[in-house]
Amino acid sequence: MTVIVDPAGPPAAPPETTRATLRRNFWRGVWRVLRRKPSRMAGVVIVALFALMGVAGPLLYPAQLPRDDNALYAPPSLAHPFGTDFEGTDVLALVITGARYVLLTGLATAVITVALGTAIGLFAGFHRGRWDTVLMRLTDMNLAIPGLPLLLVLSTVWKFESPLEMGLVLGVLGWGGIARAVRSQTLSLRERGFIEAARGLGLPTRHIIGRELLPSMAPYIAMNMLIAVTGAVYAQVGLFFLGVLPFESNNWGVMLNLAVFNGGALTTPAALPYLMAPLIAILLLTLGIVLIVDAMDEIFNPRLREE
Amino acid sequence: MTQTVPGRHRAAAIARKVAGHVVRGLVMIWAVATISFVIIREIPGNPVLGQYESLIQKGMSPEQAERATAVLYGFLPTGSLWQQYVGYLGSLLHFDLGRSLSTPGVEVTTLIGHAARWTVLPVLAGTLLSFLLGVTMGVYAAIKRSGRLGDALALSGSLLHGVPVYVIGLLLTAIFATLWPIMPSGGPVDVEFVPGLNPGYIGSLVHHAVLPVVTYTLASYGGWILAMKSNVVAVLGDDFILAAELRGLRRGIVFRYLARNAILPLFTILALSIGMLFGGSIFIEQIFNYPGLGLLLVNSISSRDYALMGGTFLVITVGIVVANIVADLLYTVIDPRVRSGGAA
Repeated sequence: MTVIVDPAGPPAAPPETTRATLRRNFWRGVWRVLRRKPSRMAGVVIVALFALMGVAGPLLYPAQLPRDDNALYAPPSLAHPFGTDFEGTDVLALVITGARYVLLTGLATAVITVALGTAIGLFAGFHRGRWDTVLMRLTDMNLAIPGLPLLLVLSTVWKFESPLEMGLVLGVLGWGGIARAVRSQTLSLRERGFIEAARGLGLPTRHIIGRELLPSMAPYIAMNMLIAVTGAVYAQVGLFFLGVLPFESNNWGVMLNLAVFNGGALTTPAALPYLMAPLIAILLLTLGIVLIVDAMDEIFNPRLREE
Repeated sequence: MTQTVPGRHRAAAIARKVAGHVVRGLVMIWAVATISFVIIREIPGNPVLGQYESLIQKGMSPEQAERATAVLYGFLPTGSLWQQYVGYLGSLLHFDLGRSLSTPGVEVTTLIGHAARWTVLPVLAGTLLSFLLGVTMGVYAAIKRSGRLGDALALSGSLLHGVPVYVIGLLLTAIFATLWPIMPSGGPVDVEFVPGLNPGYIGSLVHHAVLPVVTYTLASYGGWILAMKSNVVAVLGDDFILAAELRGLRRGIVFRYLARNAILPLFTILALSIGMLFGGSIFIEQIFNYPGLGLLLVNSISSRDYALMGGTFLVITVGIVVANIVADLLYTVIDPRVRSGGAA
């Protein structure tokens, strides 16, 4: 691309318009990347559908889902696309109403993981020295601690009643990876010219971190946040599947547990649709997020573009 | 290395590294022991004190009851928090993890010893298989990265890497044990065979181990293939590969150059992968009803056998710490750059 500078041309556009143009160009780039591989569009659609399910799903059904004693473990049919469970409740309805707990936990975990990880990584990488050593030792511990066994043991004293509590615990256990990655990015960025220039100009640390460092890492952090959502979904569905937490409300993990350990889904094919529905939901959510991360990778990492 | 001096330097560097790891591992184990102590004490209803009181009600003298409870949990039911904590750590130093409640009278260490082999062997087999498979496929995926085969391999890696281990396990069981029952749906071995070195028993063992090991393998295969692919792509751009091709070396030799350089960084992932599989064993053993450490942990929680719970948690942690040390040692032995003891 060549830029022709005309000295006698119109004065430089005011910053508002350039920013608006930038934004327009950005969205055009997003659109181009999405259009080139339709699978990525599918990712966006899938995740949007799940978000809709989390927000509106429980509103679509009565608080007490209808039961049908004549149709226990009914096979898939038009009325019950995934059959019914051990009480004759529609499995699809269970999946849709169970999405809110699962997704809310995922969201809470992702926010906490990313906030903690970014803060610790930035601090350690920017200040280096003694704090860096201490924080990285902590990070190593956080990475090495066996998270799932610890969660199981914690479940004896803490029942994780609300999704936010669950998200808090998962977030506090899982920030290590992001902290390590953000630190190494900070270490390499802080030696670059533009940071040095900012420091030479005497700009305050707040400005350097908030306006110079963070924006260049933002896409990376956003991708990690999406991945953290999937991690949290897996962990909490897994905890409910193992049956160590009380079943306060319906969610996908509870469904898996009941299907396998009450319904005998692994020995008789009758309960198989009941088992498959939450599994398919998890797989679809993963697929959607992986596809979006892939698209983001290409949008923000120009080296990957194959044009 | 024939000279003694670099050899000695190398040994010293390795020893220093191991010492550092051991210290960090001990800190980790101590932290986990403290966590389980606090949790056992803070469990609603205080099981330790409850046990003590129920023994007194059964007619034991307070001293007898105190001693009996201490045998169970590894610390006295009465006394200050600090005394109990010191008592608990003291019995840990004697490798005394207390006794089980759900299997009355049996020492926790015995139960864990029985369970450990059902976890360690499948985890090792799964790690080895997934490593071999992932590394080979990773090289192919890198060489054919613009073709359809490479795309498919990379996609299989991303999907398997992204999917939680219990989803893999449940799908495999649903397919191979329920819909098309060619595999047993659970348990470590068929009961009709006499344990021992007879073909029936061993065949049944292997038959029952297939699905768990395949699950372990698939669970970590994704990580290996993705890492190997990106490493090979990076090495492919290096000058020495071009030079080797220009010199007209045989493809096999070029391949060896490639694999050796690309495989090195993978050893840092090995520790993470083994740790992940130990965690995953909780799901895999639950799904396949496989009597390993993970199943022991879950069962101890549901049967409120807290001494067993704390002990199993501790042993799983020790397993991960040891795996970390071994993986790092392997890396040190294999990579000449790290071997020198410099910061890498």
